Amino acid sequence: MSNQVISYADLSVINSALRSISSDMSGVHSELGSLNFKQDQLESELTKLADAFADFVEADLKHKSLQLAETRQGNLKQDLQIKFGYYAEVRRMATGILQGVDTGVVSDDTLRFTTEEVMIKAPGYWLAPALVALASWIRNDKNVNEKALNEALKRDDYKTTLFFMLVMRRLTRNDASLKWLERYFMHQNPQNLDREFIIILEAVTTGVFPPASRQLMMSNVKGWLDQLTQGDTFINEQKSQWVKFFEASGPLSDGKYPLLEKFADNWVKLETSLKEAKIHGILNTHFKGIISSSADFSKGVKVQLDEILSLLVTNFDDEELPLQEQVRLNQLIIQMDGDKNAAQAIMDAEKHIFDEKVDFLQLLTNASFNPELSGATKVTQALAVSISQPWIVEAHDTFTAQSRNRIPQTIELNVDGFKTTTKDGSEENELLKKQDAFYQTVLETELGKLSFPYGGVIIGALVCLLGVWAFSLHPVAGLVGLGIGGVLIWNNIKNFNNAKENITENVEERKRKAKEVLRGCIAETVDYRKEHTTEDANAEVLRQLLNSITPEDFSSVSKETARNII
Amino acid sequence: MARIILQNDNVNLDTGKKQTVTTGFISDRDILKKRSKKYLDLIAGIDAKTLTDTKGMDDLMKAIQEEFGTAEVSSLPLGIVSKCFLGHPYEVHTLDLSGSQIIKHYKTNETMEADFEKARTVAKHNAYAMVEVYKDKIILIREDGTATKL
Repeated sequence: MSNQVISYADLSVINSALRSISSDMSGVHSELGSLNFKQDQLESELTKLADAFADFVEADLKHKSLQLAETRQGNLKQDLQIKFGYYAEVRRMATGILQGVDTGVVSDDTLRFTTEEVMIKAPGYWLAPALVALASWIRNDKNVNEKALNEALKRDDYKTTLFFMLVMRRLTRNDASLKWLERYFMHQNPQNLDREFIIILEAVTTGVFPPASRQLMMSNVKGWLDQLTQGDTFINEQKSQWVKFFEASGPLSDGKYPLLEKFADNWVKLETSLKEAKIHGILNTHFKGIISSSADFSKGVKVQLDEILSLLVTNFDDEELPLQEQVRLNQLIIQMDGDKNAAQAIMDAEKHIFDEKVDFLQLLTNASFNPELSGATKVTQALAVSISQPWIVEAHDTFTAQSRNRIPQTIELNVDGFKTTTKDGSEENELLKKQDAFYQTVLETELGKLSFPYGGVIIGALVCLLGVWAFSLHPVAGLVGLGIGGVLIWNNIKNFNNAKENITENVEERKRKAKEVLRGCIAETVDYRKEHTTEDANAEVLRQLLNSITPEDFSSVSKETARNII
Repeated sequence: MARIILQNDNVNLDTGKKQTVTTGFISDRDILKKRSKKYLDLIAGIDAKTLTDTKGMDDLMKAIQEEFGTAEVSSLPLGIVSKCFLGHPYEVHTLDLSGSQIIKHYKTNETMEADFEKARTVAKHNAYAMVEVYKDKIILIREDGTATKL
């Protein structure tokens, strides 16, 4: 065997080369890092630029559509001027004539001349012959009046009727306005009423029209009701709306039953049921408020009637509507700074408001729920409630029955794992006894879980035995052994007893607290049932109140108002 | 906007005629009509009288058929549930009209047939004299005879 000597290679060159490579690499790394950073920067710049560009495109689009809308609006307005320019003139004139008639400062000749000129200028427009009829009526020219009236009615029966009804009312020509009112009612389709009908109804109710109009209205209303209440559809629709209205009038929770809230498993149901019962009282005040109000609203109604009249003579005619709508849309686009979608949305909303047509029962319901929103006053609200009375009572009955059906029969308590039910809290002692038994079982099971420390005691005993054996070797060793064994046994038993005591104390403490809670829950249950019964009894009070409302009753109030006005 | 005024006359004239109810379909109006005092008294009398003899039972059935204007079993209620005045432990009693026509009193903890059980809560309420149980609905009758559908 020869000893081969392997010389240690000198790797220092390689090492240093490697080191320089690694330092180079770290240089590259840092370069890369800075590159990455730069790229991130660039990217964010680019996103900013893209955003800015998108903004610019949007703004440009808006700007363009704004410009377009402005141009179009101009063109459309010109169009309107060319096609229906004279309509605007007639409308201006109508307002003037009405004011002139009011003040009596315009001579008959002027009236005659201007209205007849209008007649020639605006063929097909109902307002022109209506104005001629008005002017001839003022100067007592029966012949022309009848001819003009016929023509106006031919052109637009409904608008002419409304116009003359309002004008006659303004001029306090009672008989004439009553006749026109009759005609107006004939125009109405109870399944499809116009928005302004509520104001007319209001006017008649508050006594702005002559007293005889009430009679006329009531007989019409009666006819409509007969017609609408033949089937179930309309009534059921209103009934379900009323039921929903009743349901929605619930009060907020007042946290009166904190223990039940915490310990009753069916608290949500209990709370809902109580809320529903409370609704009766709230509704009672609500309806009392409606039927006892007898303020004079006639002034406001008169203003509203004049508003209808002025709308009637200033509003666009059906013929011009398509053009006018386009003008309005472009106007809105300009208003919204070129945002076409926003403008269209507003337009749709506006259209919906004016297109709204309701059946008579719906109109009554709207007026009863929210008179302000439907353009009525408290007087009409009271009338609407009194007319709707039969199905309000039915709806209330349904609502009451539903809520009574939902009254939880038992209160499901869950106190510290002890589950029990009570009806009205009358069985307090029984429940407390059950709870006692429950904790007895709890104690037993808890104690059962605790096992006697046999192991420890046996080891102690063994050590003791060892000690006894050790006596033979040396008495001290024996004593030590016995002592250790004794301490072990004593310790184990003491610990066991301590644990037992702890458990007993623990369960006793739980029991004491739970008992208090259960007592509290039972007390709250008694209060709950008591309050519920009281609130529920309000349903009968409300029912009596609702049953006592009749249209006749109400009319006596408003006849009084009517007498005051006329 | 323009309405033809002549048409309105026809529309208004229709109100005079009463819509005829097609057979087989029972309108809510019909089923919710006020119950007669006689009918109410009869049902209320179930507690007081013993209807074990067949004659009493027949009379009862006849009165019920008269009240509903039909002897057809399908349009009569399945039964009637009302509060029992026999006192504790009895809570409600039922009058089964579907065939067996048996009066049965139920104790507080006793469960009733599924159809009748749904009427129990409201039947116990003092505001209602009795509850008519139908296959798909229950009708609550107040002391004054007014009916409410549930």
